[in-house]
Amino acid sequence: MSAGETTVTAAPIVEMRKISKLYRGVPAVKAVDFDLRKGEIHALLGENGAGKSTLTKVMAGVVTATDGTMVWHGKEVSFQSPFEALEQGIAMVFQETSLVPSMTVAQNLYLGSEKFLNRLRGIYISAQQFLQSLNFPVDPTATVSSLGAAKKQMVEIARAVHHNAEVIIFDEPTASLTPEEKRHFFALMRRLKARGVSIVFISHALEEALAHADRITILRDGELVITGDAKEFDREKIVRAMVGRTLSGEIYNKKRGAEDLRKPGARVLSVQDISMGAAVRNNSFSIYEGQITGVFGLIGSGRTETFKVVSGIYKRDFFAGGNIELDAKPVRYTVPREAVKDGIIYVTEDRKAEGFFETMSIAENLYAGLLAANLEKKAYISLREMRALSKDWTGQLNVKAINDNARVVELSGGNQQKVVIGKGLIQKPRIVIFDEPTRGVDVGAIAEIHQLINRLADSGLAVIVISSYLPEILNLSDRILVCRQGRIVEEFAPDEATEEKIMYAAVH
Amino acid sequence: MIFDPILDIFRGKAVTIPPMDGALKPNTALDDAPVALEVAAPDNLCSDGDRLIFSSGDKVFALKSGKVEEIHSFDAPVTALAVSPTGDLAIGLDNGELGLMPRNGSPRELPATANLACPTALAFDGSHALYVAQGSARHRPSDWAVDLMRKNAFGSVWRIDLAGSGSAALVLQGLAFPNGLLADRDSVIVAESWQHRVIRLSANGAQKPILEKLPGYPARLSPAGDGGVWLALFAPRNRLIEFTLLETAYREQMMRDVPREYWIAPALASETSFLEPLQCGGVKTMGIHKPWSPSRSYGLVVKLDAKLRPVASFHSRANGRRHGVTSVAEVGGRVFAASKGGNAILEISPEVLR
Repeated sequence: MSAGETTVTAAPIVEMRKISKLYRGVPAVKAVDFDLRKGEIHALLGENGAGKSTLTKVMAGVVTATDGTMVWHGKEVSFQSPFEALEQGIAMVFQETSLVPSMTVAQNLYLGSEKFLNRLRGIYISAQQFLQSLNFPVDPTATVSSLGAAKKQMVEIARAVHHNAEVIIFDEPTASLTPEEKRHFFALMRRLKARGVSIVFISHALEEALAHADRITILRDGELVITGDAKEFDREKIVRAMVGRTLSGEIYNKKRGAEDLRKPGARVLSVQDISMGAAVRNNSFSIYEGQITGVFGLIGSGRTETFKVVSGIYKRDFFAGGNIELDAKPVRYTVPREAVKDGIIYVTEDRKAEGFFETMSIAENLYAGLLAANLEKKAYISLREMRALSKDWTGQLNVKAINDNARVVELSGGNQQKVVIGKGLIQKPRIVIFDEPTRGVDVGAIAEIHQLINRLADSGLAVIVISSYLPEILNLSDRILVCRQGRIVEEFAPDEATEEKIMYAAVH
Repeated sequence: MIFDPILDIFRGKAVTIPPMDGALKPNTALDDAPVALEVAAPDNLCSDGDRLIFSSGDKVFALKSGKVEEIHSFDAPVTALAVSPTGDLAIGLDNGELGLMPRNGSPRELPATANLACPTALAFDGSHALYVAQGSARHRPSDWAVDLMRKNAFGSVWRIDLAGSGSAALVLQGLAFPNGLLADRDSVIVAESWQHRVIRLSANGAQKPILEKLPGYPARLSPAGDGGVWLALFAPRNRLIEFTLLETAYREQMMRDVPREYWIAPALASETSFLEPLQCGGVKTMGIHKPWSPSRSYGLVVKLDAKLRPVASFHSRANGRRHGVTSVAEVGGRVFAASKGGNAILEISPEVLR
């Protein structure tokens, strides 16, 4: 052990015993035991939907456990809110940052601990000193929305440290960081460790866990598979423990050769040199019928913005904005409805904000999709038609709900996603753009959504899948486009691509 | 948006080129392909069953088992060749003459037809009719760059009745440099270079687009053994050339004052002189020419499936040398491509792309 590092003591400061959490009767974690020692970096690994986030959310008070107990410094606790956990010294740095984008960095740091009278200059000075003490090159007067992913992450971490957290939980902290930023991040993690802070570190990058963690815990389908010292693990052992013979293995470990890939149909969409501010810059690519085109890129690479321009949600630049051609004819959509009428639908990555009307029923949401497309051109709403459509589509998409009148907000993530997809497909599209179709979706629903996406491509539709999860891209796509800094920089065939090649193209 | 054409007057029209992706994804398959024959400016590949027939300058040759045999020498550069099912060879020359040559006989000139003086491609329809593509009514085939820079659309497709009087009937005119032909049942497929498209013409002249907005200038078409089609694109489109085509006054001055080889125009080969346009656009790092640099010349062969959709392609990129591919032909299951700009006939293998 190098100088400056604290010794990891055997006594745990957090103990979670037989923790279970059910979402609408579906278990996300099942009787999991987990402990965290003082001054250790504990990597929590598992595939998507394995229960890593849920377990740590229980620890940080974001959700309450359905069953089991949590011991904090020898005392049994049950946090009812993240604020309560933070007051006790447990902070969670979320995958999607919880900062207020319109506030400055300093204001975000002191959010919740403001005095009755606040002097902004004083806050900036103390924030500056505090950020410097952490060696974070972030301007405290900068508005958070103007920061990149890495700096936002730094502010999140600074906020956690500022609250004197003894335990910091990082949920996928490196997913959006460049290799250089990752180096800085791990240096910081070691400094925090040296100060005696315990760290839970959720990651999909196995090498990171092997290189930086003291202990590793692996979850699979909500259950604990193994916990042990990091030096007992190697990559093969971790993968074996993570994948096993589970459904997730079926989804992501298919081996596909050139003969398994769909051949391209006609070119339906040709995007030529489109630009939108700094987010999309001279981006060009084509989309073909009867194929799944996978689009990979890190957060901020402009992939979502590009396809929002294509589907009329955003407008491209007025001057030198490029050209979009549908069936070789130029189009410029000012609202999404025009794109929907032309058969282009965009299934959002943020379903809660953009995907559905949460207080409306499944049937009403599905019917809203039909009305938006105005395919029927009716002046009235037919309840009978709405019910028939709803029955048809909930059957086709296997939406599990009590009945069609259930509100969408009450459904699980997977079923919500199916409703959002159904709302798009009801519009009889020719080009379907899925943005992170399986984000926050359980493993069973992932398999169903993947089957649906494959069926759509088999039926001749042009399908685009935007994902930041490489196994998903590799297993679904017939061709893979990699996006970086607002443009497509590389194209791969899935049989020649590897995760390393794709990631290299995405960051270099 | 319906206002775009009006707004374009004020903000400038977007000059964009369709990307080379999907089946047209760049590779180095042409540069990696073995050379079947090194010969000056090979062109017009076709097969008479067991031999590869090609032209080089004013001569026509046959290639079989690595041996080259000169078939005939003409008075002008050969600009088009086709072989009938019975082995007869049809020849088009740069001076506008058309001839027919039996497999083991002497050539005879076909009767001259008024307004048919620029043969760029030939295709037999059975043994009794011959389709002729006339690139332009105003220029010779070798003046193709002038025709493009004048933005002409004076090309036409003709059908000559070989069994009867030998008269030529106009199928369609007003085409922008038809440069490739392939007879297909009761219609003919035409590559229209300056429109960057491939169309199907029926006997009555009705046209139907097959491939539009290609990223290069299509040239000759030839049948593939699996029911598909081979398409050669002789040069890439690029934004500078497209922009030049929008600037009439500049083009006129360029054509008047600048030697033709230095025009901002597509080329079959480039990088032979520092006076060439786009040399400065070429990205060179540590003395290495980057393959994605903008270039005037490029090597591109596209394999189309039976539905005439691109399924694979063979490239020689900006840093390659197998540029200016004008024609492709299959002979006994082997595929040959003529790199006119690279002075070589290449043997390409679709297996390479798998």
